[in-house]
Amino acid sequence: MVPLSFAGIGEYTIKSVRGGRGMRRRLISMGINEGDKIRIIKPAPGPIIIAKNNIRIGIGFRMAKRIFVI
Amino acid sequence: MTESSNNKIAIVGNPNAGKSTVFNLLTGSNQVVGNWPGVTVERKEGKFVYGGIKNNIIDLPGIYSLSANSIDEKIARNFIVKDNPDLIVVVVDAVNLERNLYLVTQILELNRNVIIALNMMDSAESIGLEIDQNKLENILNIRIIPMVANRGKGIEELKKAIMEYNGKFHDEFDIFKNDRINNDIKEIENLINPYIKNFPPRFAALRILEEDTDFLGLIIDKDIFKDIEQIKLDVENKIGEEIDTYIAEHRYGYIHGLYEECVEETIDINKRITLSDKIDKVLINRILGIPIFLFFLWLTFESVFKIGNPIAGVIDTVFGFLGDKSGILLAAIGSPEWIISLFKDGIIAGVGSVLVFFPNIFIMFLIFATLEDSGYMARAAFVMDKFMHKIGLHGKSFIPLILGFGCNVPAIMATRTLENDKDRIITILINPLMSCSARLPIYLMITGIFFKSNQGAIVFSLYLFGVILAVVLGRLFKTLFFRHKAVPLIMELPPYRLPSLRTVFQGAWNRSKLFIKKAGTIIFTGVVIIWLLSYLPVGVSYAGEGSLISYIGKFIAPIFTPAGYGFWQASVALLFGVVAKEIVVGAFGTLFGGTDNLGHILPQYFTALSAYSFMLMSLIYFPCIATIGVIKQEAGIKWALFVVVYSILLAYIVSILFYQIGNLFI
Repeated sequence: MVPLSFAGIGEYTIKSVRGGRGMRRRLISMGINEGDKIRIIKPAPGPIIIAKNNIRIGIGFRMAKRIFVI
Repeated sequence: MTESSNNKIAIVGNPNAGKSTVFNLLTGSNQVVGNWPGVTVERKEGKFVYGGIKNNIIDLPGIYSLSANSIDEKIARNFIVKDNPDLIVVVVDAVNLERNLYLVTQILELNRNVIIALNMMDSAESIGLEIDQNKLENILNIRIIPMVANRGKGIEELKKAIMEYNGKFHDEFDIFKNDRINNDIKEIENLINPYIKNFPPRFAALRILEEDTDFLGLIIDKDIFKDIEQIKLDVENKIGEEIDTYIAEHRYGYIHGLYEECVEETIDINKRITLSDKIDKVLINRILGIPIFLFFLWLTFESVFKIGNPIAGVIDTVFGFLGDKSGILLAAIGSPEWIISLFKDGIIAGVGSVLVFFPNIFIMFLIFATLEDSGYMARAAFVMDKFMHKIGLHGKSFIPLILGFGCNVPAIMATRTLENDKDRIITILINPLMSCSARLPIYLMITGIFFKSNQGAIVFSLYLFGVILAVVLGRLFKTLFFRHKAVPLIMELPPYRLPSLRTVFQGAWNRSKLFIKKAGTIIFTGVVIIWLLSYLPVGVSYAGEGSLISYIGKFIAPIFTPAGYGFWQASVALLFGVVAKEIVVGAFGTLFGGTDNLGHILPQYFTALSAYSFMLMSLIYFPCIATIGVIKQEAGIKWALFVVVYSILLAYIVSILFYQIGNLFI
């Protein structure tokens, strides 16, 4: 399991989101859930872009540190 | 919808789903649309007439769910929940149907009248999504209208569907009725039932379980949070996880089932690398990102000059011609001398000298609209994220700053998308340092005379200087007033698209027509007042020694001597520029007899050094009355006054320092 901020380009599954409630809820409403298969399109450094189906979401580095993928 | 003519129809949906486009189609209006999340930050109302029946349509900011984080989202959420719209049109992005249905299920729980406008059907088809609309309609038991809103497709069907709406609530929508926490939800329903204001108990109970704490006050009269907390704990023990996560999972479980049932993916979309992704590899690249952004900015100014100036030159000639001919014509019909002067020196020389720059401004807005519609706007926020962190903000604050290059007023409104209130205030406070399109005529007038050979570079330097000042001050304000951690950035990136010519021209026209409107109202008034004060007392030489305006100017002028422009005309220009910055140009035009003359008159007063110093002053001091007004509205009178004071002091200091230090070298 690695934080999103340290994962390279490729396919992953989101294992856990260790943020506050607000952050988790935000991700969920934007269509990103624990257990989802995602792709990293642009890895760190800098903001990370992940893809789930047709959704592209950019996540700041500090937030990405708290999202764990496998 | 039948007899009543006061139907309230709300348009809601995820950000960037095309709500404003649908709104424009329904109402025939031209609200700004764009390809990035957060274009609409306030509710916009319009009328939609069909078969003689009037309906009020309300366009709302985008939301992902009924849990609102920022001001724009709260505006949308509160309207849906509190204002009891007669019909809710949910604009759904067919490409991201699954995610969009999350909001749809929450709205359906309200048991209100709902129609789905299933937008972007063409894009969905092109990526191999086959949506079985009938099935979806039957399962959700609501009308679904497939649309391609940006090409006007499906709008007639949507209009019909709205008018035919029979006003019958859809069947109770409940995705939890067979779930193992059904009884626990019931328990909460019973507990809160006596206190709910006009909401279905199930809806209210679910909102509470979804931890929508700031929502409680909207739905329940009494603070019964403690009792609810106990039930929640019991449920969490039973299911072994947090209740809000459980509900979200269940919701997505339901949606996923629905999606599988109604949508066929003919291509494995999760593996697809789109053209957008490839473009992003370059545009958001760690090393190239910022240079590319700066290049776009530079290209903007180059085009503003290279394309705009020749056209502006033609207009200039026309105004010069008009000035001469109107004088002759008015004299020929025997008009009194003061009328001739009013037309020639006041209106044509004054307003004309501002209007001359319309082509430049239109081209700038054209380029901005292109960038907005292409989807680059959201990327700019990302590219600048790291940079923005240096001032303790994050990339999202950068969008209002870029919008400030157009006009600070909507830019300050756009801060509503920021989740954190302190971030928002800082972004508002530094926004006036972004050179808006009203400063552009000042830069153009002065650089056109004093910096002819490198006009683009000089104007670019002023824009950049404003940005740097904003960064420094942002950092300062943060340490002085708001010591808080930056909120993490999360933002959806819409796919790039080829900007639509219509949208781009419409967007550019919407904004630049305000410039013309201003020319006919505020600028006109300002210029006429300056003319009158220049003409009086009767008999004095126009705008010469002894005119009223010269006394006013001379009273202030000594203050500006250390900054290099201690002549009274400059003081008059700055004084009236407080109302709107274009008047600075208008004032020079009126006082010196039109743009034709400025070229040889101004060098008698300014040197290149003092001219640049004057531009710095114009950039920084008192933004304009409208901007201060919107700061008061968005942040309160205290911060509005703060901006007035700091901007004037800062402008004065910077301008003097620049001139004095520059003098040492020249």
